[in-house]
Amino acid sequence: MRMRLLACVLLLSSALLTSCGSTREQTREVAYKSMYQDKPLSILIMPPINRSTNVEAKEFFHATLNTSFANAGFYVLPPFLSMEILKRESAYDAELFLNSNLEKFGEVFGADLAIFTIIHKWSKTGLTGMVVVEVEYLLKSTKTSEVVFQKRGTVSYDASITGSMGGLAGLMVDVAATALNTALVRQVDIAHKCNDRAFIDLPRGRYSPEHGLDAGLPANPPTFRFHIKPQKN
Amino acid sequence: MILACALALGACSAEKGLYSWADYQNASYQYLRDNDEKASEELIRNYEKIIKKQKGKRKVVPPGVYADYGFVLLQLNRMPEAKVMFQNEMALYPESKIFLDRVLKMIEP
Repeated sequence: MRMRLLACVLLLSSALLTSCGSTREQTREVAYKSMYQDKPLSILIMPPINRSTNVEAKEFFHATLNTSFANAGFYVLPPFLSMEILKRESAYDAELFLNSNLEKFGEVFGADLAIFTIIHKWSKTGLTGMVVVEVEYLLKSTKTSEVVFQKRGTVSYDASITGSMGGLAGLMVDVAATALNTALVRQVDIAHKCNDRAFIDLPRGRYSPEHGLDAGLPANPPTFRFHIKPQKN
Repeated sequence: MILACALALGACSAEKGLYSWADYQNASYQYLRDNDEKASEELIRNYEKIIKKQKGKRKVVPPGVYADYGFVLLQLNRMPEAKVMFQNEMALYPESKIFLDRVLKMIEP
């Protein structure tokens, strides 16, 4: 009886530990070794690199990255103030530093890590209203310039549901303006959801109560894919 | 075992967050896109909400908020208030001192 109970507990525990979608056995401590060894505290947001055809994609991600990292327990350098200093130091084009030594960013900003975000795609597919966003995140140490955490995600959503209004309502300017704003708000929301999904298994930072307690949890695969369902406004 | 289960469950549930952000992300996007007075005012309204009505688990102002608030005030030529915000950030998050000391030196006449 006791053995059966123990077996049930073990089965339940393993089911819980793998229920976040991970099919690999690797723990976070193994997958993100240097995060646990170096215990980084502060993160600098590098201006996102936009390789997509959506000219505003850079802003969508730049406006949403800091909350994900702060909520994960890290100190995030003030995004607007640091952006201004990066501009003044002629370092606004993050592409130039993607494969460079990052020690200077540690010295100037006091940042332990720098997050590089590459937006590969943000465009409609075919004739449908389906939009696909492909984004890659590289979290790099400013001390070693090595990648300490990496994800690449593909997110899809149906833009035809919120972006257009047919019939008489579509002719009304104020209603059309509302629809436009809604579509913009939703795109910010999509970037936010993408960030949150990418960093769901990021080892928690020092300001999180889970800091240092998540080493044994499973790491998610380096790639992810999900569809965002339309929301009622 | 119980701790691991609790953490696993915690990681799967929608994370409430250590901090509350009001409508920061939309205000932040508008500011990045327009960078005009209206967008700055909207962002300031959000910073005030985040500072005065903090509902996150930590019950403190999130990282970077005081400092960026200071930066927006600086752009509006409100230097004394901006400096207070930078000091607030350094008091709450000492790790910001390396960067903010540098910024303070840059803005000193």
